This record gives sequence, C-alpha cells and structure tokens, in this order.
Amino acid sequence: MISIDDVSVSFPDGEQTIAVLDHARLSVSAGEVVTIAGRSGTGKSTLLAVAGLLRSPDSGEVMIAGTPTSGLAQGRRTTLRRREIGIIYQSAELFPSLTAVQQLELVAHIAGDLDDKTRQRARDLLTEVGLSRRLDNHPSKLSGGERQRVGIARALMNTPSVLLADEPTASLDPQRGREVMELITSEARERDLACVVVSHDPTHADLCDRSLRLEGGELTEIS
Amino acid sequence: MYLASRDLRAAKGRFVLVGVVIGLISFLATMLAGLANGLVDDGISGLRALPVTDLAFAENSHAVFSRSILTPEELPAYEEVAAETTPIGVSFFNARPTAGSADAETIDIALFGVEGDSFLTESSAADDDTDMAAAIEGGLVLSDELAESAAVGDEFTIVGTDITLPVVGFTFAGTYGHVPIAYTSLSSWQQLLYGDDADGRFSAVAINGGDADALAAAAEASGTEVLTKEESYAGSPGFSAESATMTLIRGFLLVISALVVGAFFTVWTIQRTRQIGLLKALGASSGYVVRDALGQLAVVLVISIAIGSGAAFAMGTLMGDGAPFNLPLGSVLWTAGVLAVVGMAGSLVALRRITSVDPAISLTAGV
Repeated sequence: MISIDDVSVSFPDGEQTIAVLDHARLSVSAGEVVTIAGRSGTGKSTLLAVAGLLRSPDSGEVMIAGTPTSGLAQGRRTTLRRREIGIIYQSAELFPSLTAVQQLELVAHIAGDLDDKTRQRARDLLTEVGLSRRLDNHPSKLSGGERQRVGIARALMNTPSVLLADEPTASLDPQRGREVMELITSEARERDLACVVVSHDPTHADLCDRSLRLEGGELTEIS
Repeated sequence: MYLASRDLRAAKGRFVLVGVVIGLISFLATMLAGLANGLVDDGISGLRALPVTDLAFAENSHAVFSRSILTPEELPAYEEVAAETTPIGVSFFNARPTAGSADAETIDIALFGVEGDSFLTESSAADDDTDMAAAIEGGLVLSDELAESAAVGDEFTIVGTDITLPVVGFTFAGTYGHVPIAYTSLSSWQQLLYGDDADGRFSAVAINGGDADALAAAAEASGTEVLTKEESYAGSPGFSAESATMTLIRGFLLVISALVVGAFFTVWTIQRTRQIGLLKALGASSGYVVRDALGQLAVVLVISIAIGSGAAFAMGTLMGDGAPFNLPLGSVLWTAGVLAVVGMAGSLVALRRITSVDPAISLTAGV
C-alpha cells in the first residue's frame, strides 16, 4: 500500500511561495484503484513525483509498502522505487533504440537480475497486454495505444506493490483510452497493487474504487 | 551497457561521425609521434649508438661538442674511476669528391675522430668485414646512409683544408644533428681542425661504466662537466627546439581530442537528459547511468583510436627513408593510451551533468 500523510510541497514564484500540496493526505490499499482529477497546474504531477519517490516533500511522510521514506538517503529511495513502484507515463516514455521486449528487459537489467527467467517474464507480460506479435518492434513501429501497453507492461516488470499512472489516456482517442484504463485497473486488482491514476478525464471514474480532486493543494473525495 | 550498446546501433550516424573525428586525431597524433621519434633519431642516433654511458665536456659547454675543447690533461681523472675512457673529437665538415671520384657527391658529415684501439672502434662492426680500427687510420668510415653518395675508394677533400681522405668502408654510424656520421682517426680529426697545432686536443671524453659520484668527483677535480649519454642529446643542434615543438604540437592535439570528446558527449548528454531522468525513475542509480555512458564512450574511443592509430602505423611502415620517421609499436600504444585517457577525461563534464539529472523530469516531458 501507499500512504501520503500531511505532505506539503511549495515552489517559489518570484517573491512569493505557491503551495502545490498543502498538508495533503492519501492512503491507497493493496488492490485499490484511486483516480485523482484536477485542473492543469494544480499539482497532480507533483503529487505523483512525491508518491513515486522522485522528489521529497517539504514536510510530511510518504510510506511505501510499510516503509517510511522521509529521511531515507537518495540511494535507499532509488532502491525502494526500483523494487516497489511502477510508473506509467502520459506518452509511454519508451526508449527509441529499444524494442518492446527490451524496454522491459531494461528494468530487469537495472535491477541486476536480467536472466532467462526475467526475459521470459518480459515476453509473458507483453503477451498479457496483447502485444505478443509486437515483441521485437521499436516504438516508432507501434501505435499510440500499443506504446502505452508497453509502458504498462514495463511498469509491472519489477513486480511492484504500488502502481502510479500519470494521465495514461491523455494522448489516446476515447476508445483506446478506455481500453488502456481498463487494462491498468484490471492489472492492478489482479496483482493486488495500490494504484493511483492521475487523470483529468472523468469518464474513467467508474473504473476506479475512489475518485479524488486536487485543488488548492488539498485532496478531497468526489462523491 | 544494456541501453548504451543499443543506442550505439540506433544512432550509428552520429557515433560514426565523432568516431571519424577521433580517428583522424588519433592518426595525426600517431604520425606526429613517428615524426618526433624520427627527428630525434635523426638528431642523435649516432650518439645513441655509441657504446658509452657518459660523456665529459669542457665546463659550461652544455654538451655542445663544438664548444668543448679538452686536452689530454683532463683524461687521467676519468681513467682512474671509469671502466673505459677514450677521447673523441666531433665536428661538422663538408666533403667534396676529388676529380678521380666522378660518381661521388659532395656530402655533409659529422666527423667523429676516435682512437683506433679504443673501445669505440672495437664495438663498432663495420660492413664488409672492414677492420674498423685499422680502417679509420687511413681514411673515412662512412655511415650507411651515405652509401648512395660515395663508394669505397672514393676520395674526399675536406672543404676548408687541403686534406684528402679516402673512403675505406661503411658502418652503421647513424646521424648527429641530422647529418650522417663519418669516423676517422683522432689524429686525422685533430689535423683537420687544428692543423699542426692540435696539442692532443679533442672534444669530449667518452666514458663507459663508472660510479656516478666518482665521475662527478672526477669532473670537479679536472674542471670539466660529466653528463650521461642521454643528457648529452640536448647538445645536438636543434634537438631541444625540435623536441619542444613536437611536444607542443602533440600536447595541442591531446587538448583538442579532449575538447572534441568532451563537447560531443556533453551535447549527447544534454540531448539524452530526459532519457537519463527516465532511467533514474525506473530505479537506475547514478552509478548505473554513469557506467552506461562511460561504456558507450569507451567503445567509441577504443574503436576509433584503434583504427586511427592502426592506419598511422600501417602508413609509417610503408614510408621510405625520405622522411625522418620512426614509429615503434610501443610508441603507437603509448599515444593511443594517452588519447583514450584524455578522451575519457574530456567526458568528465558530461558525466557530472549525468549525475545531476533529476528523475522527476520524466513526469514532465517526453523522452
């Protein structure tokens, strides 16, 4: 699970300071899918960066799989991210020089355990997201939806306990976007992952267990 | 190097481009090393070939033979402490063929006057079974390099004197001050330089073996200065200036190489900033990313330097005697190694940038 407790993040803006997250609280259990909506610039990406241990909050505590992260050295935060967190990006963010299967193998290589078993796992994951015929294609030979599926499979490659998605349907047409969102939520539930999806598209709220809105630095439940 | 090796294949064009530039620099640096070695050889190969460990010169002559005039009175101090000693005279002359030597050409020679029964002639193997010790008493033993300009039996008049000496043989004598060496007897050399007023004068004491402290004491006692053979190279005409020029050029090439590699990898790193951020977001440590980049750099450097240096080495072996060029394999490897190290050093700026990339940028921009 992931827990964000009393987290604040602010940025300087000239002589003033803007509070992007203001004592924000969020707790997502294993197998639960939460969507966070909000207007552009309200701090949704900052929230994901804090949740994904990509940046430290000014104050507050982020717990990943039961591990408090405030005060952790950079190396420990990197290790925790590598082991426990999978991130799905807005436009897949694939490496142009790698094929679909290599995008996943890279995750295993970074973790230092690229072997026959993890290679097979990469192929299985891509097959699971419907890309069994696209394993050796480079990103330039994949459609937008296919690229996003590779991104989803890559986020699952390290068997994380937390899955974070940043506007995963923003660059897709409504039908492809719906399919991708269904894939994310089903994978999260099937694998018992705590899943946070940042999205400004309200049509996917029905796929999630809870919907929150980020406004004025605070997270509020949408009934 | 999982990502780096695939980036190398995917971006072949730009890596080939920088590889060609590094290869050309490597080629140029290696050729210059060959020319520098060749010039050094051309300046002092004759001196280097002498079977001596030290040379004693007149005080303040700075290893320049023409400035050093010694007399037999300076010899005993060295004879007491060195295993072998003998006087040697060194001067530059122009030798004109006599009328009977129509095929011979006028030649410049660095004339080494040595005693026929000294250790210098005993260890010099003249060609054609020439007895060096006996031969120099009657004429000139020329360096092999003059074999096309003269033949045994030709006679040369030393310009500025009326003395004529026959060519009695050839030997590997090398060159001194870029001029081929010719051996003659010390007495002939003294006659050429001083006429009948030689009084046993010579240029330097050739010394083989002897304790350095004892030689220094002998130098002090005799009012002379003793230098190792290697230190004496500095007295060869143009040696210091040529060495300094070549060192400067090679230094500039190394700096240029570092700048080229550094600039390329800095630009490449800037282009990859978002990729690097994503790698870190996927859990890669800065060490992982740096190793990836260094591996990529090493591959480009090793391949391009190997090709550039190899081409220079091949061209060097094909070069004739027209240019002073000497490129032993050790020199090629040393130059290649220094270029690789300098190239890696040039990439340090890029590496510093890699470690400072924020993984959070992966959430804000496309790769």
